[in-house]
Amino acid sequence: MEYDERALGELIERSEDVHADAMRAGREQLADLVELGLESRSRDGAGAGPAASPTTDSTRRPSGAAAGATAAAGIAAGVLLLLESAAAAGTPGDVAILQTAAALENLAVATYGVALTLPFIGGATANGVVKAFVTTTRRQHAEHADAFNAAVEALHGRRQTAPDPVLARVVARATPTLRSATKVVELAIELETVASETYVRDAAQLRDRHAKALTASVMGVEAQHVAVLLAVRALLAGGAASDIALPPPLATLPAAAGRVGFPNAFYSTTAARPATEGAVR
Amino acid sequence: MRHDPRTETSPSEHEIASLTEDMADAHHDTYPAMREAVDGWADTEGAAARRALSRRGFIAVTGAMVAGGVALAAAPASAAPRLPLGHLARRGAPAGVPLDVVVAGLAASLENLAVHTYGAALAAAKAGKLGAVPPAVAAFATTAMGQHADHAAAWNSVLRHVGYAPITVANPAFARSVDADFAKVTDVVGVAKLALTLESVAAATYLEAVTALSSESAVAIAASIQPVELQHVAILRFVLGEYPVPDAFAPLSGAAPVSSADALPFAKG
Repeated sequence: MEYDERALGELIERSEDVHADAMRAGREQLADLVELGLESRSRDGAGAGPAASPTTDSTRRPSGAAAGATAAAGIAAGVLLLLESAAAAGTPGDVAILQTAAALENLAVATYGVALTLPFIGGATANGVVKAFVTTTRRQHAEHADAFNAAVEALHGRRQTAPDPVLARVVARATPTLRSATKVVELAIELETVASETYVRDAAQLRDRHAKALTASVMGVEAQHVAVLLAVRALLAGGAASDIALPPPLATLPAAAGRVGFPNAFYSTTAARPATEGAVR
Repeated sequence: MRHDPRTETSPSEHEIASLTEDMADAHHDTYPAMREAVDGWADTEGAAARRALSRRGFIAVTGAMVAGGVALAAAPASAAPRLPLGHLARRGAPAGVPLDVVVAGLAASLENLAVHTYGAALAAAKAGKLGAVPPAVAAFATTAMGQHADHAAAWNSVLRHVGYAPITVANPAFARSVDADFAKVTDVVGVAKLALTLESVAAATYLEAVTALSSESAVAIAASIQPVELQHVAILRFVLGEYPVPDAFAPLSGAAPVSSADALPFAKG
């Protein structure tokens, strides 16, 4: 394991500062924009939509007519503000999709939490970069879960606090086999791939503009997790664990490490979970 | 391109290469889905593109995003006047061209710019102008360039399907500054930093497009590309020694405004 722990700590601290700044900016901008949105709806005569029922709407499929929304950094906090604009025209189908997303995030949080209890991931002998990645990624998934649940509540749905029931069984079966960093990385790749591909599919299907924006802002981050994990897995498989460092030994990094993280020009959706799999029953 | 002493034939490289081959197979599996999305858009474009947001609406949306770097902008065009439009309040996209078509052309032009820039970097490396080029960097540039070419081809396929000529030029609004920056690059770190900027612009633009496009199929195409651009970003950050995934939510900052499509040669064909 070769890494500069202090430098890595500084990098993460810096990124957290940027993140916090984005969250603050998000709150301020969203407050203004929510106000504008409410004014606009008032002008257009669009009242609050009916309360969504997450248990009765799962078969509805969005038509894709939604357009005109955007999202950005700080959206987790911003979505909370959207609670004030509950008139947002969401559909029951959107609630189920968002609950499923929250369920996937809950599972990721739990799984990374388990990983951190393993000595070769979270222990003193673990690779520092891998440990930092797992810690940071777990926190990011927690933020995603909060954001998805805030969006659910904005659409009058119930928060999803449980993990995805189907994948939870997969994780439960895999947990006793997690006896190496490679095994953990492979399980993480599976979960991140499922989440990212689910969100890519959802981004085109969601009707509520805020939900679409939120999902779109998360899907690429999960894909980045996949990219890093693919590179880590390749380096571990190639006996180059010492190359997992920040900064990496660029001059001697294997060529394939530069391309293994992004195998497809277009992101697949074949691993996407059913939209209602994680809906609150 | 000059490589460092470590070669493709080391045992670890073989291990990694076998993983890469598996993924190349998976890559080809993603093409049919992309074709379906393109065809889907072509089928519905006649109606959907005409239902697209007005250019004014898109500008309002984009203005809100860029000004705040934040979410929402839900408002229809009627809410636009209060939004901080900034420089986006300038002239809109080419008159008479549906917004979804403009976005497709804008995307193609950004992809062309990426292909052009990576190509120039690889040529400079081959000519020995960038010093020693690590194998991982060369592999990154080659693979990323190929994927950007695929993205450009996808958008141009869309344009052809809906009756427009493909956009084969690099985005003129960005090309000048990118070329100027590239002229100052003397090593692979400089190339990686420039590439990071380009990839970040593309990713932010696609994130914007996902929520601004009206056609569900067009959204699907943008959504299938944005994560790939962000994967490029993560690996570039790693190469540069930065933490690869610093943001829990993808940023919109730096997204290309629709006005950067002004000079693109949209033509029926």
